[in-house]
Amino acid sequence: MATIQEKGYGHWDGRLIERRLPWWPITRTAIRMAFRTRHFKFFFSGAFIPAIVYLVGIYVSERLDDFRFMIKGSEKFLVINPGYFKSYLTGDFLIFMMVLLMVFSGAGLIADDLKFNALQLYFARPLKKKDYLLGKAAVVGFFVLLLTLIPAVLFIIFKLIFSGNFEFLTSYPWLPASIAGYSLLITAFFACYTLLLSALSKNRRYVAIMIFAVYFFSDIIFGIFNGIFNNPYFSLLSLKANIQQIGAVFFGQKPPFDVPWPLSLAVLVAVCVLAGVALNKRIRGVEVIR
Amino acid sequence: MSIETRDIHFSYGKIRALSGVSLDLGEGAVGLLGPNGAGKSTLLRILLGFLSPERGEGKVLGHDIRRDKASIRKLVGYMPEDDCLVPGMDAVTFTSYFGELSGMPRQEAMKRAHEVLFYAGLGESRYRLLETYSAGMKQRLKLAQALVHDPQLVFLDEPTSNLDPRGRQEILDLIKDIATSKGIQVLISSHILADIESICSYVVILNKGELAAQGRLEDLREVKFSLYEVKIKGDGAPFGKRLESLGCRLEETEDKILKIYMPQGVDRMEIFRAAVACGIQVRQFIKSRTSLEDLFARAVGVD
Repeated sequence: MATIQEKGYGHWDGRLIERRLPWWPITRTAIRMAFRTRHFKFFFSGAFIPAIVYLVGIYVSERLDDFRFMIKGSEKFLVINPGYFKSYLTGDFLIFMMVLLMVFSGAGLIADDLKFNALQLYFARPLKKKDYLLGKAAVVGFFVLLLTLIPAVLFIIFKLIFSGNFEFLTSYPWLPASIAGYSLLITAFFACYTLLLSALSKNRRYVAIMIFAVYFFSDIIFGIFNGIFNNPYFSLLSLKANIQQIGAVFFGQKPPFDVPWPLSLAVLVAVCVLAGVALNKRIRGVEVIR
Repeated sequence: MSIETRDIHFSYGKIRALSGVSLDLGEGAVGLLGPNGAGKSTLLRILLGFLSPERGEGKVLGHDIRRDKASIRKLVGYMPEDDCLVPGMDAVTFTSYFGELSGMPRQEAMKRAHEVLFYAGLGESRYRLLETYSAGMKQRLKLAQALVHDPQLVFLDEPTSNLDPRGRQEILDLIKDIATSKGIQVLISSHILADIESICSYVVILNKGELAAQGRLEDLREVKFSLYEVKIKGDGAPFGKRLESLGCRLEETEDKILKIYMPQGVDRMEIFRAAVACGIQVRQFIKSRTSLEDLFARAVGVD
């Protein structure tokens, strides 16, 4: 180790700035850190497989005659309409990959700060609690939007390019708003879900297990109860089922379960409210034991 | 004044942590002393805006501690007592990250991070992962992140805890350099008296949440008694009683040295007269300087 004062201390002659987005350094740094996590790049790349498949589907749908030998009666899956977008955005594999990315990029967002006492360093800066939380939530938002909003917008653009006209957009003028609305809702939900669980433990491994387990067990419990009682209302227990219900509503499709969609929305909102309460309690500059 | 507080009160539930603390702290290095639970860390947290006082008011560098928290945090660097880090980061990323969060432009923060890490003695290990740092290196890192945005005032909470003697001395040298030649005001909270004595010219002593003493170390040392260290042979009890009747306070150390706090106006020859009267021998007689330890003991009321 070098001896201290090997180089002298000089005063900094710059000026501290007021950032319009004070949380942005938190987000940027956390995203960079996520890519340094082992195996993350592999799973991150894998998460784009559905997007690539659906993009190829859009291309093929415009060249059905050229690819007829490959499709062999699967044309019904290649009808590009809001249902196609709903099928992509609420697909089991995509949601699974989003959960997986949350495990890698989101588990330690708050848990590590709690474990290594970093919160006091954040709040010793001119940073408000909402800036801190926004910075952390934006990390989740970045990955979720990268898998929902961006591919869906690209689908529309490529559909227009491949078809060479604007007929698709004129047929479904509300589709971009649906994509944006659903993507933002799902982003808000995953941000709250991940941060809630990340704030509940100081151990990122436990958090990672919880992110995975809560998602899967909620679906398994739904499957078990639905199998026994044959009651669709048990779908409210499943996070995935609720997401798919809401997704169907956003894209004007029939919800997969015979349950009023506001109830599914209420479940997702309840998770967000719970997250708000827990985060407000857990995130403090200093731990005050009264 | 860099720090002014008036009648600050704070409780953790039923436990009163601070009670009517009023301070006027000027420039240079100020030591915040007190036994465990005296309220030192609570005071620092109130000054930084982590906690809101129940009563009272205060200003740090002219900014109100209730209303101008953001302004205070821009001007103040904070080195917490606990180990703090962000796992997966190296020291340069860590330090520049907190520089950026303080409001430094990204490039400037990065450049400055290198400078302060060299200054703190972490130049060669600045690209190592923080999880691999030793306790001493973590202390230096905490100091570096507190200095990265070039604050006017630094709060150091137990800066030498968990350090070996060499590491402790190096951190103390660094703090002394910051306080004396860099024009940065330093408020050090510590229970290690020697650390405070070696760095600070001004001390604040807290005890049970109340202000026990504050002032320049020299002024506080100018006490109204003289301290003598005496070694005797014979029965010390009547000797002690005789001196106590003259208003002296006596303490016996582990190595059987009697510390005699003699009030002003009492002739030191009284010690010898008492020895003669009690039939004991005085084997050693030293006029001692009152240490911060004596001052501290007197202020907090412990022998």
